[in-house]
Amino acid sequence: MAYAYLFKYIIIGDTGVGKSCLLLQFTDKRFQPVHDLTIGVEFGARMITIDGKQIKLQIWDTAGQEAFRSITRSYYRGAAGALLVYDITRRDTFNHLTTWLEDARQHSNSNMVIMLIGNKSDLESRREVKKEEGEAFAREHGLVFMETSAKTAANVEEAFINTAKEIYEKIQEGVFDINNEANGIKIGPQHGGAGSGGGAPGAGGAPPGGCC
Amino acid sequence: MPSSDSDDFESADEGHSSPTKRERKKRLSSSNYSDNLESEDELKKVQPKVSSKLEVSEDKESVVNNEGWDDFDIDEDTIQTSSNNETEVKNISSKTETITVSETKDSGWDDFDDWGDDSEVKDQEVKPQTIRDNIAANQDVAQTTSQKDEPKASWGWGWGVDSLLNSATAGISTLTTQVSQGITTVLETGIGAPDPEVLARMSSKNDTGNVTEDRKTETIADTFQLGSLLSGVTKFVETTGTKVISGGLDTLETIGKKTMEVLQDGDPGLAKKKALLGLEEKPVLSQILREAKERADKEDSVKEAKREAKEIHYETLFDDCEGLVHLEALEMLSKQVSMRIEEKLRNSEPSKRQDIKETLQQVSELCEMPEEGEENDITEGISRPDGLHEKLLKATRDIGIKLQFQPLIKQYSDVLNELAPDASPRGSYKLGVKSLAHSTALSVEIYHKMAEMLLVKGRRSTADEADAVTQMTVVLTKHIGDLATHFTEKLSKIPCEGKEDVNSYITNIFLEAGNSSKYIENAFQLTVPIIQIGAV
Repeated sequence: MAYAYLFKYIIIGDTGVGKSCLLLQFTDKRFQPVHDLTIGVEFGARMITIDGKQIKLQIWDTAGQEAFRSITRSYYRGAAGALLVYDITRRDTFNHLTTWLEDARQHSNSNMVIMLIGNKSDLESRREVKKEEGEAFAREHGLVFMETSAKTAANVEEAFINTAKEIYEKIQEGVFDINNEANGIKIGPQHGGAGSGGGAPGAGGAPPGGCC
Repeated sequence: MPSSDSDDFESADEGHSSPTKRERKKRLSSSNYSDNLESEDELKKVQPKVSSKLEVSEDKESVVNNEGWDDFDIDEDTIQTSSNNETEVKNISSKTETITVSETKDSGWDDFDDWGDDSEVKDQEVKPQTIRDNIAANQDVAQTTSQKDEPKASWGWGWGVDSLLNSATAGISTLTTQVSQGITTVLETGIGAPDPEVLARMSSKNDTGNVTEDRKTETIADTFQLGSLLSGVTKFVETTGTKVISGGLDTLETIGKKTMEVLQDGDPGLAKKKALLGLEEKPVLSQILREAKERADKEDSVKEAKREAKEIHYETLFDDCEGLVHLEALEMLSKQVSMRIEEKLRNSEPSKRQDIKETLQQVSELCEMPEEGEENDITEGISRPDGLHEKLLKATRDIGIKLQFQPLIKQYSDVLNELAPDASPRGSYKLGVKSLAHSTALSVEIYHKMAEMLLVKGRRSTADEADAVTQMTVVLTKHIGDLATHFTEKLSKIPCEGKEDVNSYITNIFLEAGNSSKYIENAFQLTVPIIQIGAV
């Protein structure tokens, strides 16, 4: 499929918080209650449209198990966006957020857009972490926050797409150097072949034609 | 300040007598129109030269009259009309008495009344308009006028048309005949056929003098301005030529403007002229060029995408099956591990360092692909997918991790069932490339998963791992070969008409099989450090 940009996402967080389910809901629009433990990393991809541009989201769904921690860290590099997921029904997954965040910040590029996600919002009766707590954590660490349910699909689209929008805005602002693939952004095949001279549409496109 | 119409009008009328007006004209120096003006004095001496284009186009003059040439006529009339040809104007206008004065207020000439207090000027301005209208209405008069004046008048447009056409033709040499014909036609009918009264106006000026020098200057100037643009404007003429034409070709000035507009509309061929134009124009043009290039690139890419969609593209298929991303992830792991190995080497004592190096070397040797040896077939009596599975399991028996081969096996049996006996050559070829890409992607995924699992494995057994991954590579490479053979056999069995097609399909299948083997070999090599690190 032809795309203007490709954004690399990573999904991180404790095991069992619903990372793979979020991905499956986003890519396949379905929910699978029982999911195999993710080994290392699994992939998903979906095309979205932002500002009339086709953007391919390539999502790296990492294993949450401690054993894979050292491996998944190698995959952080080159991600443009990250979904940091906790389970609102398990306080320990919320408590581990700081560690995850440190890990992510340390092993990824500094411009990576991080979206904090409190998943399983459908299980209101079993809630252990208040929404306000999630909001406060996000505010404190400069993250975007959202509560989602991979089961009901509530906010799942929004979580992925809002992250993409934020990345896209950063491109427009010139924060991301899209020619540096370490930023997790690739230019689509149509741009790539045209030569690097065509370069940063972010820089060129932002001030709309001051000509004539 | 009057609007541009009346501005032209004004300065045209008083062009010779008023220096300020002339200066104002110079603002338009990029246009052909003003080139004419600047050398206006010399123009009076121009020796007319008949252009064949004009004769050709004479038949079409009614068309010309109807094609929005009003502004053009007026401007040129007024420019060319100086005191020495006023008599001529009056002569002609006297032939056209049927015109009513009220007509002069048509077509945006309202400003005119406000503009001039001088009745003489007003009178003079009215006449060309009157004539024009009359000619449009009265074909006979038009014919007379043009016939009478044409030979003398043609110079002014002759060179313009010639140089335009020359450069345009050169520029659009790559276009389809249809398009270039269309353009030629339009240029002939358009520029080549000015209104008769224009010719009359011009001819009256061209009484005396040798104009050779003047013509040269103008041609150079014009060719440089418009010609260079047009010759650079290659492909865009193809796509936007119609737009330019329907725009009216009011004057050469307008062409200049249109050209700039069209440049902004996008011009693939323009990139070549970027340097040239970049020297002439400053920042605005670079902006335009960049935008034009971007748009052109976009268009090209759309075409390219369509073309590729028609083709069966291995890399795309491989990417779609997540082959690339698994390879990328494997590469990241491999790099990370290699760095750790290097770090280990650096941090160890010199005596130990040599040991580590030797161990690494031994692992590398274990991971060398064996020479093509005879293979004892363990797959007799079972289906080919099952045979593949058996071989893979046997190869990785001692690796100590559980690898998932099912997706690859399932894909294999799907492929074998998928190809109908009566499939078309192209259909078989398509399926062949797709299967190769898919199998390769699944194979790369196996290497990636294997690497991940080895890295988290508690107790490493380097020799077994190295042997397993090497044997597995042999099996997978063989599998790719089998797939390719399967499809090429099918292809060659198809009784068919287009044998060349089939042969090129077969060649391509083998090429893509080679491609697949390279990916697998690459994945294999990326796995080696992961086995190495278990040993040090």
